[in-house]
Amino acid sequence: MFENLLPPLNNHNLPYPDTIHPIVVHFVIAMVLFAIVCDGIGYFTKNKSLHEVGWWNMVFATISIFIAIVFGQVEAGLATPYAAAAGDLNLHTIIGWSLSAILAAITGWRYIIRLKSPGVLPATYMGMNAVLTVIVLFQVYLGDKLVWVYGLHTEAVVEAARAGLLK
Amino acid sequence: MKYLLNNVSSMTVLLEANGLPYSIPIHPNLVHLTLGLFIVAIAFDIVAALYPLEKPIFKFLAIPATSSGLYDVGWYNMIAAAVVTFFTVAAGFYEIILANPPDDIVSPWGLNATDTMVWHGIGGVLLLTLIVGMTVWRGFQRYVWREDRARQVQWSYLGAGLLIFVLMFAQGTLGAHLGGDFGVHVTADRLIYAGVNPNEEIGKALSDTPVTEVVKQPRIVGPREFGPGSGPDSISQE
Repeated sequence: MFENLLPPLNNHNLPYPDTIHPIVVHFVIAMVLFAIVCDGIGYFTKNKSLHEVGWWNMVFATISIFIAIVFGQVEAGLATPYAAAAGDLNLHTIIGWSLSAILAAITGWRYIIRLKSPGVLPATYMGMNAVLTVIVLFQVYLGDKLVWVYGLHTEAVVEAARAGLLK
Repeated sequence: MKYLLNNVSSMTVLLEANGLPYSIPIHPNLVHLTLGLFIVAIAFDIVAALYPLEKPIFKFLAIPATSSGLYDVGWYNMIAAAVVTFFTVAAGFYEIILANPPDDIVSPWGLNATDTMVWHGIGGVLLLTLIVGMTVWRGFQRYVWREDRARQVQWSYLGAGLLIFVLMFAQGTLGAHLGGDFGVHVTADRLIYAGVNPNEEIGKALSDTPVTEVVKQPRIVGPREFGPGSGPDSISQE
């Protein structure tokens, strides 16, 4: 019933000019990684400003990841992944949803730390940051593969898929 | 298809298939950092400058917030954006040099691949200059001119930041055209231009066999006649 409300799909198989998910993820990737850098420096230097920077960047990343998932689901649904790409798209989806829960939990933990002992980060939190770095970098790698190796939503792949040549 | 095969040398199919000595382009990843850091820096300075209006909201959310903490984000994120962007631009120029895009396609903005790369390159240098300039401006405001003011940034600084957002949008769209329309350094697109099915090729990513050899071998699954190059000049014919 909603089909007629959306513009027709373009040559990227999208109802809008270019993919939006890779733009929104700027604010997850950059903010999480920079928060972790600030936490790392702030942990050793006890610089309270850097703790604030780490905290606010995590807040921004946590809000952004939910928006990233909305656009990610829309664009995954329109991606028509071919056989070689499907596995990585599924894994990227599962990790993406999981990451939203992980980020929300870590930011919630950070909220409590900031209230109870501002300017001091526990070592366990720093360990969690290390784990988070690994997950985020792996997720970025998978997203990179979807765009730069499998070419999902690129003109050539969409054209080949529509012609039934890429399944 | 000529533009793929010119580049085919002795490396593995996947590594050479995107025209780079590594399997994933580096520039688009550094772009995440440049844009995320710059946009959030300006956004937090705006939030900090409007702090008196937002006080009740932070109180309602039970999130303790000080304007100095918000300005810290504006400052440190901007420094990080300036540092990272040197690498973003450097990686971008390296990958432009190795680009070998199709010359028979025009972007939605009416530019061919070369013009798009030239504009994207100019835009990159311009944005790097602006970001570094904004960082210096921000530093003077924070530590010299407005050290004792409640509002750490000038309105003109925030306005300049918003104008740079517009430039970034144009720059980003040109970049999206390079990847999404011209398929620059996109493995699957370059395979398709070469008349090779990426479905079959990418599965053999770890193989040492060059594309030119692979297409002569018996296919593993599915048809090989494929893509825009399946005419008589195609290399993909068995």
